[in-house]
Amino acid sequence: MIKKLLIANRGEIVPRIIRTCREMGVATVAVHSEADKNAPFLDLADETVLIGPANPALSYLSMEAIIQAARQTGADAVHPGYGFLSERGAFAQAVTDAGLVWVGPPPSVLKAISSKCYTRKLAVEAGAEVTPGTLEPVTSPEEVVAFGSEHGYPLFLKLDKGGGGKGIERVSEPGQAAEVLKRAGSIGQMAFGSPDCYIETVVERPRHIEVQFLADAAGNVVCLGERECSIQRRHQKIIEEALSPVVDPADRQRLYANTAAIVKKMGYVGAGTLEGLRSQDGKYYFMEVNARLQVEHPVSEFLTGVDIVRHQLEIAVGLELPWSQSDIKTQGHAIEARIYAEDPETFYPSPGVISKVVLPQTGDNLRVDHALADGCTVPPYYDPMLAKVIAYDQDRPKAIARLIEALKAFQVEGVKTTISVNLRILEHPSFLAGEMDTSFIAEHLGLT
Amino acid sequence: MEKSVNAIMPGLCARVVVNVGDKISAGQEVAVINCMKTEISVKSEFAGTVSQVLSKEWDELQVGNPMVMLEVEE
Repeated sequence: MIKKLLIANRGEIVPRIIRTCREMGVATVAVHSEADKNAPFLDLADETVLIGPANPALSYLSMEAIIQAARQTGADAVHPGYGFLSERGAFAQAVTDAGLVWVGPPPSVLKAISSKCYTRKLAVEAGAEVTPGTLEPVTSPEEVVAFGSEHGYPLFLKLDKGGGGKGIERVSEPGQAAEVLKRAGSIGQMAFGSPDCYIETVVERPRHIEVQFLADAAGNVVCLGERECSIQRRHQKIIEEALSPVVDPADRQRLYANTAAIVKKMGYVGAGTLEGLRSQDGKYYFMEVNARLQVEHPVSEFLTGVDIVRHQLEIAVGLELPWSQSDIKTQGHAIEARIYAEDPETFYPSPGVISKVVLPQTGDNLRVDHALADGCTVPPYYDPMLAKVIAYDQDRPKAIARLIEALKAFQVEGVKTTISVNLRILEHPSFLAGEMDTSFIAEHLGLT
Repeated sequence: MEKSVNAIMPGLCARVVVNVGDKISAGQEVAVINCMKTEISVKSEFAGTVSQVLSKEWDELQVGNPMVMLEVEE
């Protein structure tokens, strides 16, 4: 087993990973920037290492600084958390080359799936449907126009190597094809080193449905239920739950079969998520792989009783999964609300100092993943997510009620938070009825 | 006289969108700050000519830090 794990991340995910490490007897190293030198996320780590200035390019995104920290502390493995370097093939490779265990999918898989066209093609070969569009990059405006006359407008040009919503360009009519293709290509070249674009059409008012899986090196794949994450704003998820109120058992069986087929075909090893969309007429489309531990993983942990981080660590050292799919039981309902340091009316960021924080009472059915303490700083340099509150109960209405109660008890002074936005969503009749799609926030709350 | 255009939020400089010698009008965007992954536009209060660019991508900024200097006509 791993003896000492370095966690290459910051914030709430650090104590989350440390909790499992303690249960497993694995020592931990937390790294931090200058801006985080007094941050509460460091408190539970056995060792801490300063890796650079506040600027994440020179600290949490610095491969050299992190590998140096691992050498200096004698860590034998690296967990990248989510965001930052977690899906960077070059980082996975550098960690492996340094003789350390990489807690994530193989570097070669990360490199391959950084191409969206590769992943889309592979999904189709595995028998899944992908969001309508091309499987190869388009090379000329004529191809765009030809696609448009067959499938209609608007269509979207997306970067093959893109991410973070960057370089998604709308083409509303044939006359725009040349100009938009050129613009998207130059954004791609600058931001991601590749001008390649492919075409996708719009799935109107989709629901976001994703499948959490674990895959080991022996080729075993198990799915840990789907999660519905339709409540989002500008592609930032706000509420996640499992199981989805809209996915029926036959759909689920197909989603699981597709997931296992895609994951095997990829040669994927580790924990991951396949993200997809469900259209209003009930079709499921594969969208992309999230090749990491996800923010919303606790929902699936409550639902199945599986500690995903523990199995990440076990898979990383070559252990086989102890179950097959039929051993995985999904019981009850789990739901998570993310709390952001943002103005609840404008979503304007709200960095600062938290003078006082009061957490809800946690227990078997309520979990708060956070790294907050009275007097802690919320720096302006990183993601605005402050905490996640996750509730579990025997059915959806009870789980929602439990989450509402917890959010009402959660108090933060000194910075603005989106707790009131969470409550407006959770108490909305449409949400309670399980009727939602990704336009919910704009449509029902009037927030954009 | 010289006036500065200052950071209105803390964060990292995402980019400065003007160059030395550019003539700009009041209300024009001169820079963008990345605060908690949100891009915040920094606009000039004054019309003038850019005399100095003080910020560059990734610079750490506190509220009030000058990012761009302008030569403003009296």
